[in-house]
Amino acid sequence: MSSETTTGATQPARPDVERLHLAGLHAPTDAVLSVRDLNVRFNSENGAVHAVRGVDFDLMPGKTLGIVGESGSGKSVTSLAIMGLLPPTAEVSGSVRLNGRELLGLSDKEMCKYRGNDLAMVFQDPLSSLTPVFTVGTQIVEALTIHHPGMSRAAKEARAVELLAMVGIPSPKDRLKAFPHEFSGGMRQRVMIAIAIANNPRVLIADEPTTALDVTIQAQVLEVLHTAQEETGAAVVMITHDLGVVAGMADDIMVMYAGKPVETGAVDDIYYNPRMPYTMGLLGAVPRVDVAEKSSLVPIEGMPPNLLHAPTGCSFAPRCPLASDACLDGEPALAPVGGEAGHAAACIKSGSLGGSVDVHEVFAAPPVPVSRFDAIPREERSTVLELTDVRKHFPLTRGALIKRRIGTVKAVDGLSFDIREGECFSIVGESGSGKTTTLLEIMEFHPDQDGEVVIGGLSNKQAADTKTKARMRRELQMVFQDPTGALDPRFTVYEVLAEPLQNAGMDRGAIRKRIMELMQLVGLQPDHVNRFPNQFSGGQRQRIGIARALAVNPKLVVLDEPVSALDVSVQAGVINLLDHLRAELGLSYLLVAHDLSVVRHISNRVAVMYLGKIVEIGAVDRVFDNPRHPYTRALLSAIPVPDPQLERTRERIILQGDLPSPLQAPKGCNFATRCPVFAALPPAGQEKCLTLEPPLEPASAGTDQQFACFFPDGELDEDMLVAHEPADQHAP
Amino acid sequence: MLKYLAKRGITYVVMIFLTTSAGYFLAVSSLKPALLEQERIPRPTPEQVANSMRLKGLDPDLNPWERYVDWLTGILTRWDWGRSPNGAYINAEFGDRVWISTRLFLASIILTLVIGVALGVYSAARQYKFQDRVITSYSYLAYIVPAPIAYFLVQLGAININETVGERIFFVTGISTPGLAPGWAQFVDMLAHYVVPTVAITLVGWGAYQIAQRQYLLDNVNADFVRTARAKGLTRNQAIARHALRVSFIPVAQSIAFTIPAIFAGGFFAEKIFAWPGVGSWSIDAISLQDVNAATATLAYGSVIFALGAILADFATTLVDPRVRVQ
Amino acid sequence: MTNLNAVDPATVAQDAHLEHADVVIGKTTIIFRRFLRNKTAVAGLAIFLALTVFSFIGGFFTQWDKETIDPFNIGMPPSADHYLGTSQAGIDLYAMTVEGTRISILIGLVVGLVSVLIAAVYGCTMAYFGGKVDKVMLFILEALIMMPALLVVAVATSGGGEGLKRNLPSWLLLIIVLLVFSWMGTARLIRSMSMSLMQRDFVKAAQYMGVPPRRIVWRHLVPNIGSLLILDITRGVTAAILAEVAFSFIGIGIKVPDVSLGVLIGGATSQVQTFPWMFWVPLTVMFLLTGSLAMMNDGLRDAFDPSSSSTGKAKKAKARKTTVEKKMA
Ligand SMILES: Nc1ncnc2c1ncn2[C@@H]1O[C@H](COP(=O)(O)OP(=O)(O)O)[C@@H](O)[C@H]1O
Ligand code: SF4
Ligand code: SF4
Ligand SMILES: [Mg+2]
Repeated sequence: MSSETTTGATQPARPDVERLHLAGLHAPTDAVLSVRDLNVRFNSENGAVHAVRGVDFDLMPGKTLGIVGESGSGKSVTSLAIMGLLPPTAEVSGSVRLNGRELLGLSDKEMCKYRGNDLAMVFQDPLSSLTPVFTVGTQIVEALTIHHPGMSRAAKEARAVELLAMVGIPSPKDRLKAFPHEFSGGMRQRVMIAIAIANNPRVLIADEPTTALDVTIQAQVLEVLHTAQEETGAAVVMITHDLGVVAGMADDIMVMYAGKPVETGAVDDIYYNPRMPYTMGLLGAVPRVDVAEKSSLVPIEGMPPNLLHAPTGCSFAPRCPLASDACLDGEPALAPVGGEAGHAAACIKSGSLGGSVDVHEVFAAPPVPVSRFDAIPREERSTVLELTDVRKHFPLTRGALIKRRIGTVKAVDGLSFDIREGECFSIVGESGSGKTTTLLEIMEFHPDQDGEVVIGGLSNKQAADTKTKARMRRELQMVFQDPTGALDPRFTVYEVLAEPLQNAGMDRGAIRKRIMELMQLVGLQPDHVNRFPNQFSGGQRQRIGIARALAVNPKLVVLDEPVSALDVSVQAGVINLLDHLRAELGLSYLLVAHDLSVVRHISNRVAVMYLGKIVEIGAVDRVFDNPRHPYTRALLSAIPVPDPQLERTRERIILQGDLPSPLQAPKGCNFATRCPVFAALPPAGQEKCLTLEPPLEPASAGTDQQFACFFPDGELDEDMLVAHEPADQHAP
Repeated sequence: MLKYLAKRGITYVVMIFLTTSAGYFLAVSSLKPALLEQERIPRPTPEQVANSMRLKGLDPDLNPWERYVDWLTGILTRWDWGRSPNGAYINAEFGDRVWISTRLFLASIILTLVIGVALGVYSAARQYKFQDRVITSYSYLAYIVPAPIAYFLVQLGAININETVGERIFFVTGISTPGLAPGWAQFVDMLAHYVVPTVAITLVGWGAYQIAQRQYLLDNVNADFVRTARAKGLTRNQAIARHALRVSFIPVAQSIAFTIPAIFAGGFFAEKIFAWPGVGSWSIDAISLQDVNAATATLAYGSVIFALGAILADFATTLVDPRVRVQ
Repeated sequence: MTNLNAVDPATVAQDAHLEHADVVIGKTTIIFRRFLRNKTAVAGLAIFLALTVFSFIGGFFTQWDKETIDPFNIGMPPSADHYLGTSQAGIDLYAMTVEGTRISILIGLVVGLVSVLIAAVYGCTMAYFGGKVDKVMLFILEALIMMPALLVVAVATSGGGEGLKRNLPSWLLLIIVLLVFSWMGTARLIRSMSMSLMQRDFVKAAQYMGVPPRRIVWRHLVPNIGSLLILDITRGVTAAILAEVAFSFIGIGIKVPDVSLGVLIGGATSQVQTFPWMFWVPLTVMFLLTGSLAMMNDGLRDAFDPSSSSTGKAKKAKARKTTVEKKMA
């Protein structure tokens, strides 16, 4: 397993000039992009932030380099430094060569010759990355005009149409005149890619291009990037914090921590043979959607270091379970390990790591918690929440003075499920499938609701008086998606946690005691109660939110995307905490998430929602291992797994387009417009799907799995299946 | 879009009607022209006064509601806004004065906007540099000076210039020198009359636009889409000029709604101080002359200006922001 | 997290520590300290307080008052007897400035405070009830914005001889009229702010906890709008002082025999060439007043910003924007 692309400078620290000189001499002449000793400092009021500290890599034509690391590790700054897009306050040193030409030190004007031409970039947030006041066409044409002033108008327009078609935008000719706000996030990211590849770049940098998108859309966009790379032959730098995303597409990986590459090497070496505790931790922190085996996730405690001060030892030491005194003695340099070509790690103990070392042992991952309910069969446990045929329809009106009802949005359409004591029930689906509305219907206790919600034996129909409501409220509490927005910025943690307790009528002494308990319970330092939320990290804030939900000892906690705003390493800690709390306190969870791997990790049962309806429901292992509904299959297939060999070979279902607007929902099966089975059906079968609504029916006797599809075993349409040719140099 | 504008238009018509009616009631119950008439020499008898008032449709013996109905009927059926205590017809007087005021404001509005926005862009481009600090400090200063005092200071300055030069370069009051033959001389005369008030209004008005435009542009220079534009191969300045600037106009366009009435309000002071016989000074004179109909008419005019400003702002916003086009 | 259940000896100590309530909450102190850290703001506050004190006790330093005419000194420049000289009518200018400052501050404070109060009640009512109530109230509000306030002031203070006006001093009348026309912008801002706050997750969290609406308004909405309210008070005070000066200057606000800074400035315009001090002294006082308020406003904004750690440039710039928006509104 050798890689043509080499990453990482292997020399130990030497004086910069000498290093650069050597680097210049030794840089492979055929590298399209070669970066040496890249350093970026920002001068802030508090001193210089050393955001990037010595990044080296060579990128060969047509290859893909993945840069991974937590947020704040300097990935974006590295890419912006290469593009020359850092603010003037940034101090950049080192060398960046594009086809042998030095880019650092060029003026903004000189850089413009390369930017958008040989060197292109796709940014993270597609919603804000396009100018709102210009049409998509104008913005694509602009990219052409800048580098080909002589091109005729018609030629440019033709090329723009071609590009839009290439990135998979239907009826591209008409869409040229559309404004960005008329496009969904996924479509806008496609436009961004179209702009980036407009001039056939040699190097394409993608900075977290799919982080803001739904999984199905992420799969589409990654596919588009793949096509784009094939069409243009560009080398790609793929930046992400999600190890799954790069597993399948990268040739090489560079793991960054605190502005420095801490491990580099060929993708298989990094994933199967990590030699640095941080890399091992990152890999162990990711839950897997494809394995049933329950093991705790590896949490990486603590926070990345402050880059204001130059580290005197290994910068990972404060969080590293293997840290010893020797680690604090100077920062370890990136050194070759294990005899694999190009594999290097910055750890003094890398020699003893790798291969058979179990990351769970290294990081002392907590044992899988066992709940006292686990032993009791589900049917014998009491029900904490039951929904029967819950519906929420929004009338859609048009007209200014006289409102006309032009249709109904069936946000939630006949939902029934129950949650038993001690179990975690999850709802998954794309955004817009009605998950949040379902939660709201449960939380708001409308007595005149269509359908019934029974919480701890009390129905929402009875919830007319405040006393009943108060009793129901105590049974269930909620944790929100955005940990920042869910905490009043003007409340100290103490006040945040005291609020539900005061509301429950506790006296001051009891409140104090309970707050201390809660802080411990969620793993926060009790002496932090006087701090304001903005003094905590995202993961800590989410713990505060969890503590608040637990304050009044509810039976059921409703979790709305509780970890989607968090970094993987932090996410692992919160997931472990949730797991632990469920076992220890006998809680039940209703979890809404779009990340199926998280769901698989912590749930017992799962429901898959599409356009307001449950299309498949059952025990999580059953549903995920043996999905029957085509939508479940597509969702599962959209999740990238952090396993390069599997990723490279597996066949994926790529759903076409976005979730249709609920208005356009077909009469028969909701999913028909995007269904890969439907597309391959003979006309008679299609007719059935289009006219009849498939009922939710049990899959087979003996399981509680149910699904709503007429043709669960139908063939999948070829066009929606994608399998990449396994790249030969990776062949085992 | 047209439907939307029409709807807004109807709302404003209702509002204008209501504010004008409220204004009429306020005026009719607090302005008593008869009392003033009574002071005339030779002193007329109360009967004579009442009689003359009745003839002009200002019968002091009717109650406010009756007078309101009469007044409204006049407007709705004959577009007749009534008469002043001295017998003049509001419609005729109004026509002349609106034209004078409009001439005064039009130049000022355009200059205020153009200079304010231009300086905003200029100072944003030189953020924290000397020029920016000077310009922005000036704008903050303009914020704490009452408009009439600023006008007065400009007037003083003009007088000083005249005195220093020893010749009358600027006219600090009035709109024209009577008796000039049409032609070049009259044009120069007109300019000399216009310069001081226009400069005064503009100097005071641009501050708010400068600060706003500067801030909106600065909010946008580091926007993601500017970065995208640079990534395409535009220099920073090109990217800002082509992308950020256009976006930063959106909030400024929205604020036009408030410029026009603000300048109009400033116009009251300006007309008073520079002795221009426009609607503003008329309204104040009318009030001191206890002229109910004139006061109400100017009030209605003010409301109309406000509504026009708001509609214009809607229009300008749709022009620069495609997101509001598809309602 | 790994030591989730470990008994932490520090906790026990912490428990005892927390018995003292003062350890737990000190937000007012934090805000106060942040304000004090801002030198400009403190200077502004000092100037404003000094002027206020001056306006109350300044009169004791001279034997003259605002009514007594000194027949031997008419239109005199400053002298030992008349610190700031005398007016054309022979009235001591110093005495009049003291009195005028007091009236101006009075107008500013009353209008600033009461209009924000009206705005808060009106805005919160709109946001709380929403729907039809909101629509109607918004219509009234916009109609009031459309009224040219200046004309109404002129009509109301033009002394046509109605009973109300005869019995009220002109400054009180001016206060009432200014109040009627000064609260709408703030009310609209408060409405939109409370509406967006109602959508925030932390308000939802409180709702889902079963916290009664009254308490949510009081504990979450009011403090989060509170800083805006205080900022609006300083802004309202400035605006009212400016409005008084502007109106009195052209003779439609405060009328003699009442004095105010506007009356003094306006009265001196005709002799600005001959008796410049009569014009510049009250004008300087007005600048000091409005300037000090503007300086305070800046410091207050920083102090209230929960995300501000110090006075970074970026933050100031962001905060400025809100001022400007308000100003243009
Ligand atoms: N313009 C800037 N000024 C000062 N510090 C910055 C700036 N941009 C980024 N940083 C700092 O650089 C570090 C690396 O950030 P970044 O590259 O965005 O991380 P990543 O992309 O890996 O999440 C962070 O500590 C961040 O705070
Ligand atoms: S050098 Fe030491 S502290 Fe750093 S990663 Fe290796 S073992 Fe951990
Ligand atoms: S019923 Fe038909 S359209 Fe619906 S999911 Fe099954 S195969 Fe697809
Ligand atoms: Mg980043």
